[in-house]
Amino acid sequence: MTDRSLVHIAFYAALMAALGFMPPVVMPLAGGVPITAQTLGVMLAGVMLGPVRGALAILLFLFLVALGAPFLAGGRGGLGVFQTPSVGFLIGWPVGAFVAGWVMRLTGGMAILPASALAAFVGGILAVYAFGIPGISIMAGLPLVKAAYASVVYIPGDLIKVAITALIAQTVARGLPGALLSRS
Amino acid sequence: MISMYLQGDSWAHRLPAGLKLLAVALGSLILFHVSSVWIFTGCLVAVVALYATLGREGLAQLRLLRGIVFFVVALLAIHWLSGSLDEGVVVAMRLVVMVLAANFVTITTRLDDMLDAVLPLFAPLKLFGVSPRTPALGVTLVLRFAPHLMLVFSRLREAWQARTARRSSWRLLAPFAIQSLRMSDNVAEALKARGGSAGLSSSP
Amino acid sequence: MAFWPKIRTGSRERVCNPDAVPYAVFENVGLTIGARKVLHGLTLSLSEDRVGVIGLNGSGKSTFVRLLNGLRSPTDGKLTLFGAPSAEAEKELPRHVGFVFQNPDHQAIFPTVEEEIAFGLTQLGADKTASREQARRFLSDHGFGALASSPFAELSEGQKQYVCILAVLVMQPRLLVLDEPMTSLDGLSGRKIREKLMSLPQKIVMISHDLSHFEDFDRVLWLEDGRLRMDGPAAEVLAAYEADIDRRLGAGMEVAAL
Repeated sequence: MTDRSLVHIAFYAALMAALGFMPPVVMPLAGGVPITAQTLGVMLAGVMLGPVRGALAILLFLFLVALGAPFLAGGRGGLGVFQTPSVGFLIGWPVGAFVAGWVMRLTGGMAILPASALAAFVGGILAVYAFGIPGISIMAGLPLVKAAYASVVYIPGDLIKVAITALIAQTVARGLPGALLSRS
Repeated sequence: MISMYLQGDSWAHRLPAGLKLLAVALGSLILFHVSSVWIFTGCLVAVVALYATLGREGLAQLRLLRGIVFFVVALLAIHWLSGSLDEGVVVAMRLVVMVLAANFVTITTRLDDMLDAVLPLFAPLKLFGVSPRTPALGVTLVLRFAPHLMLVFSRLREAWQARTARRSSWRLLAPFAIQSLRMSDNVAEALKARGGSAGLSSSP
Repeated sequence: MAFWPKIRTGSRERVCNPDAVPYAVFENVGLTIGARKVLHGLTLSLSEDRVGVIGLNGSGKSTFVRLLNGLRSPTDGKLTLFGAPSAEAEKELPRHVGFVFQNPDHQAIFPTVEEEIAFGLTQLGADKTASREQARRFLSDHGFGALASSPFAELSEGQKQYVCILAVLVMQPRLLVLDEPMTSLDGLSGRKIREKLMSLPQKIVMISHDLSHFEDFDRVLWLEDGRLRMDGPAAEVLAAYEADIDRRLGAGMEVAAL
């Protein structure tokens, strides 16, 4: 790994932490469920850094959380968060970043806006929920269907984040060509 | 350093970090196969007693549970509605016990010591040609730059406020990403100028 | 922060001679980044104790000094650093050449002052405890003992830049390269840093837009559009540079040319 990759990975992990400190926004669209910016960080890491570096950035972030840094939204952190029903989502995050980066690479010929929206949706929603829902089911002792119902309230918020991710990716590609490492 | 660590010198602080981590890992493995309310009641009393040995400040740390109150309530409600309240109570108790036990390790172990304890696990990295000290360097970089990125963001927000009289917007995230990426290139250069992540000692 | 013990123990031949004079020899050196020729036709050799680099924004100053520590490699010509061809010297350069950047916030890697200093020592092969202890001693030798455990982010701008310089000095380089180190500092801190720099035994190559910083320098290089426009004793070059700026102002410059 080059020094440059390491620093990029660390920066996205730090970005995740910074996003966790932003106050959660209550979106009327999402039925009043507070949405935090951190899944946005997962989508961005994959879309911007590409599969491997994106996933490593999220893993580094979770590693810090496990070591005791209160970097999850709401100042949560420590080993305890890996014992809650949302652990499935945490496991899904690096996978989601990987998938998003991968989709970004597969759609190399597509314009950035639709490609990054697709990548954020497949990685940041489909992949993340594929781990998150079984996580709730196992940790909370609920059947899969009920676990899915319990997490459906977050979907509208996540769709908004998909749109934001795509807009950010497009703006960054215009403002700092070469920063979209998933495409270089 | 930013951490949930609780300053202190109790017996728990003095235990080696590796041992505490191992205990929590084993504990959660075992508890996952337990479904007796009585055992969990015992565990709950025991784990609260652990916090109590840290004194008043230790007991105050039980407020970390606030983060999972929502989960516990929702969980009990769903189980009650599906007619499996007994199971719901067991699951909820397991959740509380495991979260408390894991957090106990976190608040009694310095981030540095925790890192030292798990770093040997990264030794196999050298098989892939990556220096095993890379994860530690990564952790350091995050701890150094997370606060700085927040500062960058608040400066952007000020600039935005000065021109729009609005508080904040998701639009700030794009310039934020650009600025932090540009900065990360500078940092990478500075790291390389001082010998890079692998160090200089390899040359004689 | 502890690091796992070093793995690479392969013994490479040492190619640099830290005492080489001149320490840098440029023979028709050029550098192209993408489609842009950033530097061309540079022929000079550096052996003076204090060398200043001046020029307008975009003249290639930053790229030029980055050649000295291997952050950039020439694409044309021949560059010899510390007696070795630049491509071979590259790996060893960080221990002979200390580099101080413009923005200390982008240079410091560690959360606290002490760790920042200790990093240089671990880079050279010291272990965690030894490097921490040595770093503390080094800091108090330089009057910074009281701030050893302070978070870097809480220092003043001047203190931050001072720490960045110390973090480089602790590796005992022979040459110190500074890219506009005083730009973000107020007048007083800038002077203090300059005083410190002038007292160092290291050879120095420094970029600055504040010409007063070069008063007692041995030599000044003036770069323009990637070429060496003038090279000579500080007083002569600085006077010619100022006259040129006055001339350009008189000619009335468009904003687009800034």
